[in-house]
Amino acid sequence: MAEQRDKPSITESELHGLVGHRFPGGSYRVEHWENWLLTDCTGAPPPIDDVVHPIALFHVPIQGVGTSITELFALGRAGGAGSVGLLGYDWEYFAPLREGVEYDIDGGIVEAERTVTDEGAIHDRVAFQIDLRDGEAHVARITNRWVFRRSQ
Amino acid sequence: MTTVSVGDEIPEWTMEFVDPARMKTMAAILRDPYPVHWDREANAAFGLAGRVINQGPLNLGYIVNMLRAWAGPTCVRRLTVSYGRPVLDGDHVTARGRVTAIDEREGERVATCDIWLYRNEEPVVTGTAVVQLPA
Repeated sequence: MAEQRDKPSITESELHGLVGHRFPGGSYRVEHWENWLLTDCTGAPPPIDDVVHPIALFHVPIQGVGTSITELFALGRAGGAGSVGLLGYDWEYFAPLREGVEYDIDGGIVEAERTVTDEGAIHDRVAFQIDLRDGEAHVARITNRWVFRRSQ
Repeated sequence: MTTVSVGDEIPEWTMEFVDPARMKTMAAILRDPYPVHWDREANAAFGLAGRVINQGPLNLGYIVNMLRAWAGPTCVRRLTVSYGRPVLDGDHVTARGRVTAIDEREGERVATCDIWLYRNEEPVVTGTAVVQLPA
């Protein structure tokens, strides 16, 4: 698979300046229909109780914190989806997510680093961390790492 | 579930056919506006013309389905994964796992597991899961 690469549209200093960026914050409630569809997308049987499928920890934090995939790509100055790669996730569940619960959500960008591959390509690695709370209870924390591939 | 021991293999979970229709639904749920998940022509620039790319969370979802089928719907305590090559529509993928440690944490008995998603014999997702074991 050929990788799409963008011309570096962000300096290394600007990249480092992303660390500390805070998202607006907000809240999110997963409804039953949404959990049903999400679960169906994974090929699992429909939910039989109010436990939300754990992969909701991708979109619930992003949307609940008041950002979007589009905005995250824009923050990293991506030229398109093909120049952005998924490095990995670290998702911690302190309690199961449940339908109908309004979670308070906050977070921001915690890492930004420029690397150069053996082939000379610039790879900007950016991580964002988002927390979910139900009142005083810390329910989950996600740390997602993406790479923005640049050409020279 | 019988008694769990270090070295145990978790029963596999297989997605026989990665369905592009499910990617469309997923794109709507995620509010992901990029067409690589639904427009077959969008991936021509990456050498994948005629194919669409499965969402990363869905690839992880197959692994999670394996864990939930093994240890229950609320078993997942932590997932740490990295992604390799993309999964495409029509692929046949299998989630696998192996117990590497069993501990007591905050009153729970938990298993740490190596986890993978394989396409044929190629791992496309690798990582670690911490799973609460049934009492």
